[in-house]
Amino acid sequence: MTSHSPAPHPAPLSALMLTVPVAMGYIPLGTVFGFLFVQAGGDWWVAVLASLVVFAGAAQYMMIPMLAAGMSVGTIALATLIVNLRHVFYGLSLLHKLPQGRWFRAYLVFGLTDETYSVLTTLPDSTPRSQMVLVALLNQGWWVLGTTIGAVIGSQAQVNLAGLDFVLAALFAVLTVEQWRIKKSPAPLWIALAAYALAYPLAAKHALVISIGLSIAASLLWQVKASASTTEAKQ
Amino acid sequence: MIDSGYAIGVIAAMGLVTFSLRALPFVAAQWLQKHPFVQRLGQFLPLAIMTLLMVHSVVGSATENPSGPWAELGAVALVVVLQWRSKNALLSILLGTGVYVLLRNFNVL
Repeated sequence: MTSHSPAPHPAPLSALMLTVPVAMGYIPLGTVFGFLFVQAGGDWWVAVLASLVVFAGAAQYMMIPMLAAGMSVGTIALATLIVNLRHVFYGLSLLHKLPQGRWFRAYLVFGLTDETYSVLTTLPDSTPRSQMVLVALLNQGWWVLGTTIGAVIGSQAQVNLAGLDFVLAALFAVLTVEQWRIKKSPAPLWIALAAYALAYPLAAKHALVISIGLSIAASLLWQVKASASTTEAKQ
Repeated sequence: MIDSGYAIGVIAAMGLVTFSLRALPFVAAQWLQKHPFVQRLGQFLPLAIMTLLMVHSVVGSATENPSGPWAELGAVALVVVLQWRSKNALLSILLGTGVYVLLRNFNVL
């Protein structure tokens, strides 16, 4: 350990400080989730259970209208797969950082949300595993706390405002901007827009699934072209 | 009403899918890193899928709204600009949704 390390024996307090910015987002956004879930007709404790078991903001927002419409478990599971697919690519950059120990690892992997991921990637390699797990636990604690608050408020009175479900579109827009910020190429965005424009007139109901398929196909072509041009550049 | 038994089943399935996706790179790291197309997909898919989810949910809101797509387009543009400049997800989401709810309920447009 180097002498300029900020905390040789990090106290729980420093983990708490690390999660303060996350808490500022998770508590209110968890509150919105709990509120909308109960307003859609769900039991308050089921909203809390979702935040304990699923712990994925976008997917949880998405589940509300799908549950209200009584969609099949398989359909909702497939939609979750699509919304959370990006998480597959998070773990790869954290591989060497993950602590030993079965339960520590399992919980960290479970709690790898966008925000926990970005806190963990900023920690130095020497960070003790207990602190990493504490960061993940605290983050989920904020999310569950917010959900509980929102679910309790939501079960007091029915609010009849149209358009509250726009929160999901807004969340997707935020995630799009953040993916755009770290992009290596703008092509995925333009290809996705073109794919949707193509798919929507064909089958509006299935436009999302069709355009995801088209985008994957286009990305494979793009990759062939890209790798061809890298080989050219090398020569 | 949302039946709690049905909701618990959905939550279990969603939890399983989400955990599997988060665990995949740790279980199949060697396989994933060996194949360059996985890395390419990793650079391509997250932005493409998020764009599609954004467009699809904006289109969904717009088709439910009898008075056209302008409120949706305006609100989503507001979220994008706010997030790009402030990097504050909470501000962008709550302000964007708040403006949209105002537009929808008080016939400003």
